[in-house]
Amino acid sequence: MTSILESGYAFWNPIIWIIAFVVVMVIVYFFRRRGQKQYKKDTAQARIFLCGEEVPEAGQRHIRVGNIYWGFFETLKEYYNQVLRPHTGIINDYILWFVAVTAISVIVLLIAGLAK
Amino acid sequence: MAALITHSPILIIAIPLLAAFLTLPIGMASKKARNALVIVSLTFVAFLVFALARDISINGIHIYTLGATSPDLTTPTGFMVPVRIILEVDGMSILMGIIWSIVSLAAAIYSLSHIASETGQNRFYTLLLLMVTGGFGMMFTGDLFNLFVFLEIASISGAALIAFRTRSADTQEGGFKYIVVSAIAGLMVLFAIGLLYAQYNLLNIGALAQVIQYTTLDKIALALLLIAFAMKTGMVPLHLWFPDAYSVAPASITGMLVITSHACMYAAFRVCFTLYGGVIDAPVVGWILIVFGLLTMFVGVTMAVYQKDVMRFMSYHAISQLGYMWVGVGVGLAVLGNPALLATYGRDAISGGIFHILNHAMYKPLLFFTGGALFHYTGTRDLTKMGGLAHKMKWTTILYIIGTLSISGIPPLNGFSSKILIYESVFRFNPILTIIGIIVSILTLASFTKAFHSAFMGAELPEYKEGKEVPKSMIIAMMILAAGIVFITLFPSLIVDWAIHPAADALIDQGAYINAVTGAVP
Repeated sequence: MTSILESGYAFWNPIIWIIAFVVVMVIVYFFRRRGQKQYKKDTAQARIFLCGEEVPEAGQRHIRVGNIYWGFFETLKEYYNQVLRPHTGIINDYILWFVAVTAISVIVLLIAGLAK
Repeated sequence: MAALITHSPILIIAIPLLAAFLTLPIGMASKKARNALVIVSLTFVAFLVFALARDISINGIHIYTLGATSPDLTTPTGFMVPVRIILEVDGMSILMGIIWSIVSLAAAIYSLSHIASETGQNRFYTLLLLMVTGGFGMMFTGDLFNLFVFLEIASISGAALIAFRTRSADTQEGGFKYIVVSAIAGLMVLFAIGLLYAQYNLLNIGALAQVIQYTTLDKIALALLLIAFAMKTGMVPLHLWFPDAYSVAPASITGMLVITSHACMYAAFRVCFTLYGGVIDAPVVGWILIVFGLLTMFVGVTMAVYQKDVMRFMSYHAISQLGYMWVGVGVGLAVLGNPALLATYGRDAISGGIFHILNHAMYKPLLFFTGGALFHYTGTRDLTKMGGLAHKMKWTTILYIIGTLSISGIPPLNGFSSKILIYESVFRFNPILTIIGIIVSILTLASFTKAFHSAFMGAELPEYKEGKEVPKSMIIAMMILAAGIVFITLFPSLIVDWAIHPAADALIDQGAYINAVTGAVP
């Protein structure tokens, strides 16, 4: 079968996965169809409710990229301080990194050769 | 047809080169004729690549000697070694050729609308076709000096294309950084080639591989070649230029630049497996690739989560995904000298890494194209200024979701197929590699969800109410890549058996590559 990928340890068949996914979607659709149909569109029943507060305009209530994962960045603040440091935007620094990594690689290869 | 296939390696390089020089005069006469020339030449090249791939799958390595009375006459009469320019196309090179032909065609179609309002379009297409020439040359050449020449062609045209939009300063800075980094990398490649030529009097990869001794100078040359190519792929910590350059190029070019990174990765693999394969200290070099690969995966993805510019965000993800390939192939290289381990999981790890190149070549340009579509619609790359775009950009939204699920390795998409191949094989080498890989995958999904929410979700914003979905040619180009994703998703085994395993075997079987040129296994 052209769909069965042998990974040497197990196998992966996307067709089985897709069939399972479709079955789950049919079940979900079945339960959804049994839901409440009598709600009235364009009334308070279908509008956004913010504990009685006035709902802001579309532009104001959209959560922008800068506010997402705030806790993640706060937790990893130290990591980001370190990892952002080499990103200077200066091409001289970039080339220095190249020289350093090449030098380290040469030393590693030469030492490994001596150790043999 | 037989003659066409015989000469196809040189035709695949020569047609875009010829078309590049015809683009300018034809473009001055008619814009439509120029566009037709670009698309028809790239379509014909794609046809030749697939025909050559079929031929290689039946007859094995395809050799083409320039200037010889017969294309397979590698060593001229009276000579002991090959001296002519030889193109050598095996399972690995043709896979790269297939990728390059599909992505360059999609990029050209995307460009028809994407750069329609820009000035200097004739020059744009000339440079695009020159970059295609450079890419194919790098993939098909069997000669180290020509590898350098084609690397330079791809790099110089790439730098000019990054700086194509001359009206903004960041494009000029991006182009400048790219050309400086490329020039330094190219110089080091040339220096390494000089070191090898000085010792062995040879430039042909197969002939060199037969006689290489792994002297101190050879080790220095190996480090120079490996790190120079690694810098061109954006391996951490040599990635710093990558987002600066890739984020400012027109999106179609960014998609192509991703494949030039793959071409440099291919060159690094060719150096490790084919040129040095018989003498290399495989565990040490393998571990170097693995360690830098892990760094690349993790730093790339954590930097991506941090970004607010959609193209920088995509660029850091491109870096991160390249790490998977280094790790997969690095594990295979580390066990290259141990036939038992190579058979148990090494070949699968190499296959996983190569399969990820193919998958990445489909979803990453697609994601860059969707980033370009967002820029086309909003006029900004700043995610903080976007929102609710799914209301107006329905096709772009769907295509972005396909790319996102694929890059995050969500089943059943193709990204999952290659990641599972990498995870399961490298797990048996060292389980920590798989754990890091899975963490990086989770972070990838998290960051793409963040970008998806920022750009597409939410109520329609007042400033974007009047716009329309991007033009058809951009949608068609994205659909070509999405179709590739769907095909690989549905038939992973077909792809692995037909293209990936032959490519992995071409890397492992150094003798076959040498034998095709010299006629003798070392």
